[in-house]
Amino acid sequence: MPPSSQAPIAPETGTFNDQDAREDVPANAVSAAPKKKEPPPESPDSIRQRIYVVLSFWAIIIIIGLPIWWKTTAIYRASLPLDQMMDWADGRACRPVFPLRISIEADTLQDHEAQHLLRTTQHALDDLNDFSAHHLRLELSPSNASTTATGLSTGGVENEELALVIRLLPGTTSKADLQSYAPVLDIYYTPNQVPSSSSSSSSLGNYIANTLRGMFAEEQAMIAYLLSTSSAPPERSPKALAPEVAESLAKWTTRSMKYSRTYHLTFSLFTPTATPSSWDIEAALEEHMKPLLESFASISNFTIDTQVQLYATPGVSGNILKKEDLSGFINAAEWPLSPSIGGAPTINFIIYVGDMEVEGGGKSWLIPQWGGVIIQSDISDLRPAMLIFSNQLMSLLGAPESGSLPLRLMTLVRVRSAGLLLKASGTMGSLARLTLALPSISIPRSVADGVYTTIEHLRKACDGLGGQEGLENARIAEEAAEKAFFEKSMVGQVYFPDEHKLAVYMPLLGPVGVPLVMTVFKEARAWRKRRRGSR
Amino acid sequence: MMSIDRRKATLFGAAAAVRLLLFTSFPGLPDLLTARVEISTPVTSFKRLQEGLFLYNHNVSPYDGGVYHQAPLLLPLFSLLPSSATYPAFTYLLYVLLDLLSASALMSIAESGEAVSSKLFTSPRKDKRWSSFAIAAAFLFNPFTIATCIGRPTSVFTTCAILHAIAKAVNGNSFTAMFALSFAAYLSMYPILLFPPLALLCYDRRKPLKNPESMYSFVTGNAIAVGGSLYSLLHMSSLITGSWEFLSSTYGVQLLLPDLTPNVGLWWYFFIEMFDSFRNFFLGVFWIHLSAYVAGLTIRLRRQPLFVLTLLLGIFAIFKPYPSISDTSLFLAMLPLYRHVFPLMRYTFLASSTVLYATLLGPAFYYLWIYAGSGNANFFYAITLVWSLGLSLLTSDALFAVLRDELEVERPDLKGKEIRQI
Repeated sequence: MPPSSQAPIAPETGTFNDQDAREDVPANAVSAAPKKKEPPPESPDSIRQRIYVVLSFWAIIIIIGLPIWWKTTAIYRASLPLDQMMDWADGRACRPVFPLRISIEADTLQDHEAQHLLRTTQHALDDLNDFSAHHLRLELSPSNASTTATGLSTGGVENEELALVIRLLPGTTSKADLQSYAPVLDIYYTPNQVPSSSSSSSSLGNYIANTLRGMFAEEQAMIAYLLSTSSAPPERSPKALAPEVAESLAKWTTRSMKYSRTYHLTFSLFTPTATPSSWDIEAALEEHMKPLLESFASISNFTIDTQVQLYATPGVSGNILKKEDLSGFINAAEWPLSPSIGGAPTINFIIYVGDMEVEGGGKSWLIPQWGGVIIQSDISDLRPAMLIFSNQLMSLLGAPESGSLPLRLMTLVRVRSAGLLLKASGTMGSLARLTLALPSISIPRSVADGVYTTIEHLRKACDGLGGQEGLENARIAEEAAEKAFFEKSMVGQVYFPDEHKLAVYMPLLGPVGVPLVMTVFKEARAWRKRRRGSR
Repeated sequence: MMSIDRRKATLFGAAAAVRLLLFTSFPGLPDLLTARVEISTPVTSFKRLQEGLFLYNHNVSPYDGGVYHQAPLLLPLFSLLPSSATYPAFTYLLYVLLDLLSASALMSIAESGEAVSSKLFTSPRKDKRWSSFAIAAAFLFNPFTIATCIGRPTSVFTTCAILHAIAKAVNGNSFTAMFALSFAAYLSMYPILLFPPLALLCYDRRKPLKNPESMYSFVTGNAIAVGGSLYSLLHMSSLITGSWEFLSSTYGVQLLLPDLTPNVGLWWYFFIEMFDSFRNFFLGVFWIHLSAYVAGLTIRLRRQPLFVLTLLLGIFAIFKPYPSISDTSLFLAMLPLYRHVFPLMRYTFLASSTVLYATLLGPAFYYLWIYAGSGNANFFYAITLVWSLGLSLLTSDALFAVLRDELEVERPDLKGKEIRQI
């Protein structure tokens, strides 16, 4: 029953006007009408009554309906700091600089000699380096520096971590020796290499500079690659990377897992028969895996579980596995491998008991962003497998391939911070562009909050780039940025352009609205006629 | 006089006997009907009342579970009764009593003759009315009323309160009427929309005074009475539950429709399908649609406020957020008061057969959808559309008949002639 069915009752014409009755009046009624005498004029009372009825409907629509319409369909757009967001995306807000502090311990040298060596080496380094974002800064270790009032290394903040310590030791031949478990580089020099204070360059300085450059080349390439793939202004990027370097770095990107504070490691033993039903995994993990994981503590935490699956058949059969078979080896349908516990990404390590051969040699392979597989017939000794897994884990976490473990970890921190920083900045830019491109998209308060959190932590990350805190801030920023960008209630609106609103309003409001509007027109016409008649 | 009393006693006795017989001889029937979506809605269900009662008796807020959406004052009332699980007879007797009270209120409305001859209008067909006995019988033996009584939804309380409000209004006790209306509004919210016609009815039927007050001051006084009694009821509720949070769990649920359990109304399916971003807007539209009729009908039918009440009850039974057959039974209780205009109605057969058709097929389609799984939600929604169509046909046809009746007083020459709209 449309609301107007009671409204336009018109007794003045001697007829009822009931909408529901309209179609059902027999035809003879129409033919009878002309014969009837003209109906008497409508009484002023009934005219007034009718106008009141029409007004009562319109009053409700205007007084209650319009505000409700306005309030419930208005799109809430929280204001976003668009300029700041674009600044971050374009790299204007932050210049990612990684000052690496390298301390030189030269106890055997005279003070002035050490100072001079430092100067010349720094000079040689600066000449070699063409990438301003990645900057090696030398300084004398405190034992030396304490004797010099103003060294080159002014302004070094004490709590800032040292990237490397170089120990200069006298020796018979010049050679560099990187210690395995500490970020210490021992450099042996022959006495004739000590520079005289007059010469502007020294062979020892050049030697140190070249060694350092070699050591940090990979990290530099990684950061350069990250910058070149981001939307940072081109003048900030270094000269184009060599194609083969770029290719290997692209592989590195696809191989490594997305950074997370916690990873879950699953070690699985799959066997096609009923044996072996147990393996000495706990001791093996304790012995070979735990130390590595502990050294990662500042970057990521790990949770571990293990499982044994009997009668497991791989996804491919045959004794020789071809290279293209390897991706299908994991029987994803039947092997219980995807329980992401607690939301942390899972890294799988699988030992498959069997004597299959892989074409081209080797019995293990790495599956990018997923884990590693080893085929091994004898599981009495798990040490080789654990060593392979450790290597695969380093790879999957995105650590560089060369260098000693502490250096690799430190590089990983820097590279990860840079990656997260750039990613969060890029997301900010995308969100800002999206906001500008779609004026009808709603922006809930949570998105604005996320943006402010992101920018705050980006700022902190940018200030503390290269350190532990920088990584943590970058991670928070990236998380907040992703959350803001993928806000659900925002995405829903994208698929609802203005044209569709007509389709929502019309079916319901059309049938109700047309009689209401028509009644107003009719009343207005009747009123005009009456006024003309009375004049 | 004596014989009328005896007839009334017989009628009430028979009605009570039928209900008690159904309660006792079919022990599974009350629970079966309680679970039917046609009878129990989220805001009236007896099952949900039990849940709220359990929480209330264990000193937990009854609204904590998110199941109970009914008025808080029902809780102390039901906790006074012995538990319906162990002694169901007390609950049965309460519901039977409520039905009988409603019927007695209906009888007093019928006896007043307001339906055929109000202060401003007297129908030329006024002698063709049914006796109050027949009207009460039509209410008490209406299968919808009986099914509602057995299913024990709390809408029975609302029905009783509304009928008493009207009965008191017809007898000129405006303040009692207003209190009954506030109680109905307190229980179910929507009866507050009945205030304008009810106030006019009170105004028309008030006892003649030496210096009669104007209509505006009378209506204002009544509005204050309603406001005051509503406030005291709500305040009592907040004392009982210890906070005002019941407002959002009772009236908020009626306004915002968070529970989309199917019922015989039109809202649930619509809001299942509605785009989320337009949900609030269309909630507003539906509520405005429901309340828009009040003013228009009250103005147009100023001379017959009792009929406005009848029509509004019919409209509410179709368009309110959680309707059930209990609302229909209330409308069908009031409709026989207008026996004298029945001959002017044109679609009585169509409307009644549509309602009957929907009554029979509704449960069948619901079974196909929910239990057999061979149908889907559209089956049941289609049948609720038919049901609503039948009821709106009945409502608009009754309106047509009453307007035609009014017209024949104004223009006696048109009696018996066909009419059409121009």
